[in-house]
Amino acid sequence: MKQAYQTLNVSKKNSIELSLKILLVDDEKEFVLTLSERLQIRDMWTAVVFDGKSALDLIHTDAPEVMIIDLKMPVIDGIDVLKQVKQTKPEIEVIVLTGHGSEQDKKKCMGLGAFAYMQKPVDIDLLSKSLKKALEKIKANKSPVI
Amino acid sequence: MKRLQKFKSAFWNQRDIAGSHLHAGFNFARKWKLIVLFTSFMALLPLFVMTLVDFNLTRRTIEDEVKTSISKILSSAAAYISFCKEMNQHDLNFITRFESGEDNDMFVVNQGGTLLTSSFYYGNEGSPTLFINTLSKAKTGIVETITPDGESVIAGYTRVTGTSLILVLVKSKKKLTDLWLKPRLKLIGYLFVSIILILLSIMGLATLLVGRIHSADKKRLKALHHAGYTNKLASIGRLASGVAHEINNPLAIINQKTGLIMDLVTLKKELSSDERLMPLANDVLDAVNRCSTITRRLLDFARHMEPSIETVNIEEVIGHVLAFHKKEAKHRSISISVDSPDSIPEFKCDRGSLQQIFLNLVNNAFAAMKDDGRLDIGIKLNKKKAVVITVADTGSGISEDDIHNIFEPFYSSKDKHWGTGLGLSITYGLIKEIGGDIMVKSKIGKGTSFTLILPITAEAINDKG
Repeated sequence: MKQAYQTLNVSKKNSIELSLKILLVDDEKEFVLTLSERLQIRDMWTAVVFDGKSALDLIHTDAPEVMIIDLKMPVIDGIDVLKQVKQTKPEIEVIVLTGHGSEQDKKKCMGLGAFAYMQKPVDIDLLSKSLKKALEKIKANKSPVI
Repeated sequence: MKRLQKFKSAFWNQRDIAGSHLHAGFNFARKWKLIVLFTSFMALLPLFVMTLVDFNLTRRTIEDEVKTSISKILSSAAAYISFCKEMNQHDLNFITRFESGEDNDMFVVNQGGTLLTSSFYYGNEGSPTLFINTLSKAKTGIVETITPDGESVIAGYTRVTGTSLILVLVKSKKKLTDLWLKPRLKLIGYLFVSIILILLSIMGLATLLVGRIHSADKKRLKALHHAGYTNKLASIGRLASGVAHEINNPLAIINQKTGLIMDLVTLKKELSSDERLMPLANDVLDAVNRCSTITRRLLDFARHMEPSIETVNIEEVIGHVLAFHKKEAKHRSISISVDSPDSIPEFKCDRGSLQQIFLNLVNNAFAAMKDDGRLDIGIKLNKKKAVVITVADTGSGISEDDIHNIFEPFYSSKDKHWGTGLGLSITYGLIKEIGGDIMVKSKIGKGTSFTLILPITAEAINDKG
């Protein structure tokens, strides 16, 4: 099977961020591809899918640690993806990134267990910070086991 | 005329103002006249008929009574004369004088019509009367005739049996009329007083009724337009949020692509040699940020179009509204100042309504002002724990005549300064809905100042300090 997650700076394999595998789900291809490239520049492993169904398929074969999802997508929308992810793989942190943000949506997503709710257009530094926090949370959750 | 105008109900001069907008119209003054006419006719007709019947009946009864009494007097006198048989002049005189009764003229004539006793109407004994010609051959009878003086009288006569004498009793009709007309006239006087009272009460009731219909109609129209306006605002809100959402997506792409360019420039040394690249990319990002501020503001605004009670910070609401006018103010060099010396506590209110109220007021102020105007907004707390907000402009002002009507629906001044004539009535309705009040002061050429009072009372949650 082809390696789903890619990063640009393979040489920095041992840095902290590198362990973070991120799945980006958005039907705005131009947006999501560019965002993925920028995150790769920032030493993160990213994979991109353009719809909810592919995203749900991928989490079972090659689970990411963090997902960034859009809310409005064809067939399966972001809310449903979020629900199913939280049901089947609750350890995956989900960041909602949408252009259709209302207070109600935000409340709903946070209630369903989203890690963060951000509105497009988002500043890459803000997103990176949020991702770092997610990583810290994941680490904190893992450490007692070890 | 002005004094009369005071008594006129509000509907009197209101002719189909609303009709042109929504329905076929309702002429209140005409309806009022119709009701008054119809009810008056129905109420007074039986009264008139009854009075007329009563009038005639009384007259006839009195006349019949008089005629009976005449016959009685005559027959008794005649019986007396015929009983005595031999009667001299003196006896006849005595009888006619004492048998006649009050106000009657009794006399005796012979077959030729010559008076045998003196008469009040026809002269002394021996005078001839033409009166005899009017009598019929019957033994007794009653005729109506006219005396030589021209007075109309009722005359009863009887031929005394066994003699050639005719006994006549004449009664003045005038005196007869006096007998029944005076009390009748009094009654008619009462009738007129009651007619006037009935008319007044009919008019009063009609005024009340039509006034009620008028105010109900006005309320209905207002509600209808309020609903329409709210609907329109909701549609605008949906449209705005739709547009904002759709714009956010391409904005996000521009944002990310520009970010990528910047990333690449930082990473690749051959690209960073051009010093202008980074500032240019930063300019693009600034523009994106500006756009996203606008779309966020739109979304925020549209979100509050639906009614919902929440904790609001009045200064923040006013700030949001003014943000929409900043560009226009800059272009027209209108200065805006917001003055809030007191710390205003947050309170529970429908944020959407507040937004609309201030948007309307600020829109009006901007429409009324020429360039270089000034818009002053003051926010204060009064003693009764209510927020008092003044919105004062330096615009064209509102005339004395118009100022009492500006909150009326469809009222629009002649120069169409207030547009559709609905904005302020909607504003008024919204303020009343959230339990507030609004007052207006204006001077032509100087400007207009609206004062809003919003109660916060027990719902004041916490003083922000």
